Amino acid sequence: MLALKSKATNSLLKSEKQSFVRFLTPYIAMVLLMITLLSVFYYQSQEKIMFAQQRATLSKYAYEQTKKLKELHYAFDTKRHYPRDSRFNSAIYDLEQLQIFSLLENKKVSFDAEIYKTDKHIHFVESLADFYLGTKYLVIEVSDDEVWKDDIWKNIFGYGLFTFFFFLLFGLYLARLFLKPMRDSIVLLDRFIKDTTHELNTPLSAILANIEMMNTEVMKEENKTKLARINIAAKMVSALYRDLTYLVLEQEKDNEDEDIEIKALIHNRIECFTILAQSKNIECRLDLEEASIYMDRRKFTRVIDNLISNAIKYNKRHGTIGIKLRQGSLTIWDTGVGMKENTIPFIFDRYMRFNNTEGGFGIGMSIVKKILDEYQIIIDVQSKEEEGTKMLLKW
Amino acid sequence: MVRILLLTLLLYSSIFADNTYERNCVSCHKHLPVSLEKMFMQYILVYGDEKNVKAGLKHYLKYPIKDISLMSNLFISNYGIKTKSTLSDEEIDEILEIYWDKFKIFGKLN
Repeated sequence: MLALKSKATNSLLKSEKQSFVRFLTPYIAMVLLMITLLSVFYYQSQEKIMFAQQRATLSKYAYEQTKKLKELHYAFDTKRHYPRDSRFNSAIYDLEQLQIFSLLENKKVSFDAEIYKTDKHIHFVESLADFYLGTKYLVIEVSDDEVWKDDIWKNIFGYGLFTFFFFLLFGLYLARLFLKPMRDSIVLLDRFIKDTTHELNTPLSAILANIEMMNTEVMKEENKTKLARINIAAKMVSALYRDLTYLVLEQEKDNEDEDIEIKALIHNRIECFTILAQSKNIECRLDLEEASIYMDRRKFTRVIDNLISNAIKYNKRHGTIGIKLRQGSLTIWDTGVGMKENTIPFIFDRYMRFNNTEGGFGIGMSIVKKILDEYQIIIDVQSKEEEGTKMLLKW
Repeated sequence: MVRILLLTLLLYSSIFADNTYERNCVSCHKHLPVSLEKMFMQYILVYGDEKNVKAGLKHYLKYPIKDISLMSNLFISNYGIKTKSTLSDEEIDEILEIYWDKFKIFGKLN
């Protein structure tokens, strides 16, 4: 099965890419959200552990400081020096949370939490049972070197990135799994086309050769019409055959680039489609100036054939197609059924068809785009439903 | 002239107020072994802040009983319980204001 995959099927189609993006975008967003939430929980738990460790130390400091406050309280008539400690700063507040004395570097104190962190300090608030020196709240302050924070961030980034990439790979695997049925059907269709193409050549050549050889002069008028219909049908199959051959065989061939006189080529191709156009009473308006392009003739012919064939196939009866040629640009327009605006980006996808009134595999425009991309020719598609389509090529 | 009169009035009222505290409190307490400052520290230890200290003291001055006294049993057995204050509420408030300002902790630590 793998051997049957062509270059085209190995790369993602636009619709496949869209499905891929549609799946991966919310998936990645969900993974990022999950990692962020886990990181927040981890950070909070680590902060709690740090506070628990600090609480034991700060509680001991508060106990020592309370003892010193008690001594000062009973000797206040002779001593007025507030007890200091090199390991921490402290402050005392009364019942109304008015500051009695403070040595804190960060004087903004919150009495709602027992222990909390400020910019560079940790505050521990101890509520005293006895009001030594009128103190209800004793605040112990130690500086925070934030080493614990560095460790937390290292872990968050390390494990977070690992988890992200793990889930990303898992997501890619899942996406491929989801896209596999779509991919399998494309491969299956490719195989079918490749197998049937070989079998089409001989009978098709025989039909076309015999139509050309028939002597229409001795035919009844009724039979002439029937033969014309057979001719149209055979030519349509022939165009389809050429597309399929190109798709499965010729695209792998080396290019034989040359200067192509486009005007002559268009006249030649229009002739081939005359019977088809006449069958729908379509008028053909040509506005051709001399112009040339340097590329492979077979490929340019495939582009022109497909664009003209589509303009006729998807046209209304008594409609019009127009071809305007200038040096560096070619416009092919029609007054056909047109397309919805939101379907235009997908017209170059293989097997993508928007109109089932006409036969086909939906490979023509895919071939056109591949060839144009190869020669860096820009194609601009403008279409309006029930008004028509305009294809502009610029090189 | 008005300014002189106002200054004189202010000076007089402060001397008069201090006199109220001196006359009604210090005159008796100076004979006791426990200073008014020590008693203040006892009150702040129990009552905590300015509002509670003043309220506690005012209540004790008006209704002095052994059960709510903050002094030790030894002190009470030696010197007894003070007599009920005859001062008006306004006078007690004024005296407590002076007492608080004189011994409060705020601004005294270094």
